[in-house]
Amino acid sequence: MIDHPGQPTAGLALGVRGLRKRYGSIVALDGLDLSVPRGLVYGFLGPNGAGKTTTMRLLAGLIRPDAGSIELFGRPFNRGDRRRLFDVGALIETPSFYPYLSARRNLQALASAGAPVSRGRIEELLDLVGLHARAADKVSTYSLGMKQRLGIAGALLSDPQLLLLDEPANGLDPAGIVAMRDTLRHLARSGKTVFVSSHILGEVRQLADVVGIIAAGRLVREAPMDALLRDSGAIRVRVRDDEVPQAQAALSPFGSVGPGRTEGDGNSWLSVPVGRERAAEVTRALADAGMYLSGMETEGNLEALFLELTGSPEPSAGEGTFKGLGRMQ
Amino acid sequence: MRLLLDQIGRLLRRPASWVTFGLIAGLMAFVFIVIGATAQTLEGAQGSAAVLAILTFPGAYEAVLGFLVGLGGLLAVVYGAAIAGSEWTWGTLKNAIARGESRAGYVIALFAAIALVLALGLVLAMAVGVVAAFAGATLAGIPTDGLSDSATLSALPEKLARGWLGITEAGAIGFAIATFTRSQLAGIGVGIATYFGEQFSTIFFPDIVKYLPFHAAEAVIGVTPGFGDGGPGGPPPAQLSADVALVVVIIWLIGAVAFSAAVTQRAEISG
Repeated sequence: MIDHPGQPTAGLALGVRGLRKRYGSIVALDGLDLSVPRGLVYGFLGPNGAGKTTTMRLLAGLIRPDAGSIELFGRPFNRGDRRRLFDVGALIETPSFYPYLSARRNLQALASAGAPVSRGRIEELLDLVGLHARAADKVSTYSLGMKQRLGIAGALLSDPQLLLLDEPANGLDPAGIVAMRDTLRHLARSGKTVFVSSHILGEVRQLADVVGIIAAGRLVREAPMDALLRDSGAIRVRVRDDEVPQAQAALSPFGSVGPGRTEGDGNSWLSVPVGRERAAEVTRALADAGMYLSGMETEGNLEALFLELTGSPEPSAGEGTFKGLGRMQ
Repeated sequence: MRLLLDQIGRLLRRPASWVTFGLIAGLMAFVFIVIGATAQTLEGAQGSAAVLAILTFPGAYEAVLGFLVGLGGLLAVVYGAAIAGSEWTWGTLKNAIARGESRAGYVIALFAAIALVLALGLVLAMAVGVVAAFAGATLAGIPTDGLSDSATLSALPEKLARGWLGITEAGAIGFAIATFTRSQLAGIGVGIATYFGEQFSTIFFPDIVKYLPFHAAEAVIGVTPGFGDGGPGGPPPAQLSADVALVVVIIWLIGAVAFSAAVTQRAEISG
């Protein structure tokens, strides 16, 4: 599902139509369309260099598009409309602060520019991001994760209706990631819109209600997360180890069944590349072959869909393997 | 106003502000006290009268101010470039713009804060310089009766204001260069090169150079910078009259700030 250019953007927190941006001979965005409904978390996915950060910069008014339009809350956002950003909080690229100032003083500095900030908000946010105990320390002594937390606090400073977060999990420890996810989910439940760019599929999968996938400066898919997972789904069945070859043969009409992954207790999991709506057919196929599964799960294979849509090569030698690795001495 | 006040607070907390102040105040105190302490060895030497005149009040007031505007101009270029450049290098300008702050407004507020901090620094450095000159005069055994010369003291506020304009204009040049280069390091480097480039150009284009920003800034107080009354280095270079220099300084000052605002207004901000 991709909205067509010209589709009404009423009811959207953010509507982008035909956005184009070049840096010299490099085309960063090539007619990008986005439709971000209000009050949810929108995951903006794409491989490195797909145009995510360029989009973020455009949405935050840092750079100007060559063509196309941006609407914030149903109204055009043009050059000179800087006050429209009072409703937007942003963390673009790396968090940026005065290194010689404390976290608290940095937030005060941020609060002195742009949208007004309510009294007590800074202490509230320092508490929220878990930096209250270190709030008086200079930011130059902070780790990347702590700076990231402070950046998120900075984005939330004016209690914005729309939050733009560029790779917000960068540098965060697992507890920080969980806390960030909970915070963003809470914000969405309270009616705010959260637009999160990321190349980490697991993070987006756990966080986003709607996903937009960008490749080479264009939107290649935009849909609710549930629909994406359903379309890209798989079913996992648990059978006895000695039945794996027989089960693979019985399930082969559904597609390529992966090698069994043993649990070490005499049972293995097999992955069948079909959506959960065909679960009954899978169980029947096994039963017809004289086997009874001892467990069943549905899973969405977002990774496969992402690789397919973005044209990225599927790693053959393990996730994250670079093409030239085999040639390295 | 909240932005300006916050900018001033940030600058007062910034190590670069105190390092710059410490450098000029410390160097000046050192020079005046060393001259005073070694005055007896200068007796009879060529130019010794001019050197000792530096410590003689009320002329010492002008010597201090000349020193501040001369060396202060170079330090102001570096300071202005450091402050403006760091906004780009650290990405803090990006934060303010993304919060909906006016680009031109932010730059003007930042420069206004620099100008006010320079005013504070100039007054404090002047006080340090006068104390150092008094100490040097005492060490040299030079009478300090002229310390309370009413004519000089009544003219001092205007000269300080002129000196402040000169230093602020030099700071604006550094500020504009760093804004243009969008880098702290490049801004400081190009700023220093521009300063010395202008000094060396005196040899080739003396009639043009006097209208350039750093020469005009030094001429604005009406004394030869460095060592008032001509100093020991021979005749002073050709310079504008103080009033013409004042007009030229204001033009350079406004031009540099307007240029910085325009560059920021049009800039594509990344990083």
